[in-house]
Amino acid sequence: MTDTPKHIIPRVTPEAKEYFDGAVRGELRIQRCTTCRLHQHYPRSACAHCGADTLEWITASGRGTVLSFTVIRQHGVPPFDAWVPFVVALVELEEFGARMLATMPSLAPEAARIGMPVVAAFRPATERVAFVDFRSADAVAG
Amino acid sequence: MKRRVCVVGAALSDGPVTPELTPRMLEAQAFRRALDDAGMEKSQVDGLASAGYGGMHEVQLAEYLGLQPHWLDSTSCGGSSFEFHLLHAYRAIEAGDVDTVAIVYGNTQLSTSGRSLGTGQQFVLTGPWAYEFPTGITLVGCYALAAQRHMHQYGTTSAQLASIAVQIREHAARNPHAMYRDPITVDEVLESKLVADPLHKLDCCVISDGGCAVILTTEERALDLAHRPIYVRSAAAGMTHHSVQAMPDLTQTAAAFTGPKAFAEAGIAPADVDTFQMYDSFTYTVLVCLEDLGFCAKGEGGPFAASGALRLDGALPTNTDGGGLSATHPGMRGLFLICEATRQLRGEAGDAQVEGAEIAVAHGSGGWLSTMGTAVLGTEPVR
Repeated sequence: MTDTPKHIIPRVTPEAKEYFDGAVRGELRIQRCTTCRLHQHYPRSACAHCGADTLEWITASGRGTVLSFTVIRQHGVPPFDAWVPFVVALVELEEFGARMLATMPSLAPEAARIGMPVVAAFRPATERVAFVDFRSADAVAG
Repeated sequence: MKRRVCVVGAALSDGPVTPELTPRMLEAQAFRRALDDAGMEKSQVDGLASAGYGGMHEVQLAEYLGLQPHWLDSTSCGGSSFEFHLLHAYRAIEAGDVDTVAIVYGNTQLSTSGRSLGTGQQFVLTGPWAYEFPTGITLVGCYALAAQRHMHQYGTTSAQLASIAVQIREHAARNPHAMYRDPITVDEVLESKLVADPLHKLDCCVISDGGCAVILTTEERALDLAHRPIYVRSAAAGMTHHSVQAMPDLTQTAAAFTGPKAFAEAGIAPADVDTFQMYDSFTYTVLVCLEDLGFCAKGEGGPFAASGALRLDGALPTNTDGGGLSATHPGMRGLFLICEATRQLRGEAGDAQVEGAEIAVAHGSGGWLSTMGTAVLGTEPVR
């Protein structure tokens, strides 16, 4: 998963710059609402929970739990066609309110479980963009 | 007093494979056939609704058909767009803003893009896609995430999901225009290739070409036309999310709102529904909406479907034309549901006729379980 073709590199928009800058540094930056105290990902200019525009950036712990997952076994677009089979998980971050969809490249498909603890892993793509993957927290501990 | 609204014309274009036709030709063909079915002239149509892929599609369509409508709806929110159109047209006709609305759709998804919709689509990296597409998630994968969670939470099995595909294929066998008509078994579904766990190839809808048109008008006009009027008893629409990461609850859709609202306005209970035309993009879409619409309790969709409820002689004959899973799915299918519901209520469904059908529900799903629209049609109006 080292190749990063241009068509999967997102444009860094104004509301997304903090997130991608963080990812390049190896930090998971997410937004926290100072009004309702809930977190959100992806970045927006207002809180999707309560609607307030009182957002601040925090560095998330990178820890989370798999809310659900799938094993992608068929994909027609490069580079994903060369990745199959691979796990994509919907991760509930430790910071309440925030969820992320992420690839789990180091996890064997048969080892994927709902509820498994996971941690973020950063995959550089360009000077301005890095992708946030997740891997099993147990594997990290071991 | 509010005017009552009826479906008076419903027709399909050629399909499910039409490499020699353009989407616009399919739309024009379906529109012409719907006018003939209704026994109406083009000049009587003063409203148009359609959903496409941008570029003022609906305006181009009106011009192509030679219409200058004074009511236009281009709501384009995925496969359920047409239930949104029906809701909007129903209210507008009821209120007197417009008298006769044609809802028209056609697409050559198969001939133009092949079978890339579910697993080979290149999404433009704007909005949430900037964060989702680079993960390698696919359209099928989004549904798979939801299905996996449902299995975890409620013990739903792959065999129960498979039984939905099996029953709908039985209906397709009765439809000469269906893409796939040979019977399948639960084992065959489970042995078909896994596309995105837990969804197998045969849990996924077909990709086809095809078009459809439906014409709605006032009861007053409908009573002068050839067919018995089919009444719009109610409609409701809603959404929960765009991207699957923002879906509030992976095991519940906006149908949990649209169903109760539509059924209450129609004056019916789920048990009163004689036939259910459900957007079966995937077997899971059917399962979760059976629950959300109240045909069974939350978590009971698996056992309910596997009991044979969807068969012609079952508790809730579903997708009697063979659905998107076996008959036709040209990119978006919501309009075909209204067409089949109308045919059933008229008693025109041939070998797949549900005897004595008086109440039919058409339920569209769009995006990634994102947008939902419910329409209740009946042989009688709400009294």
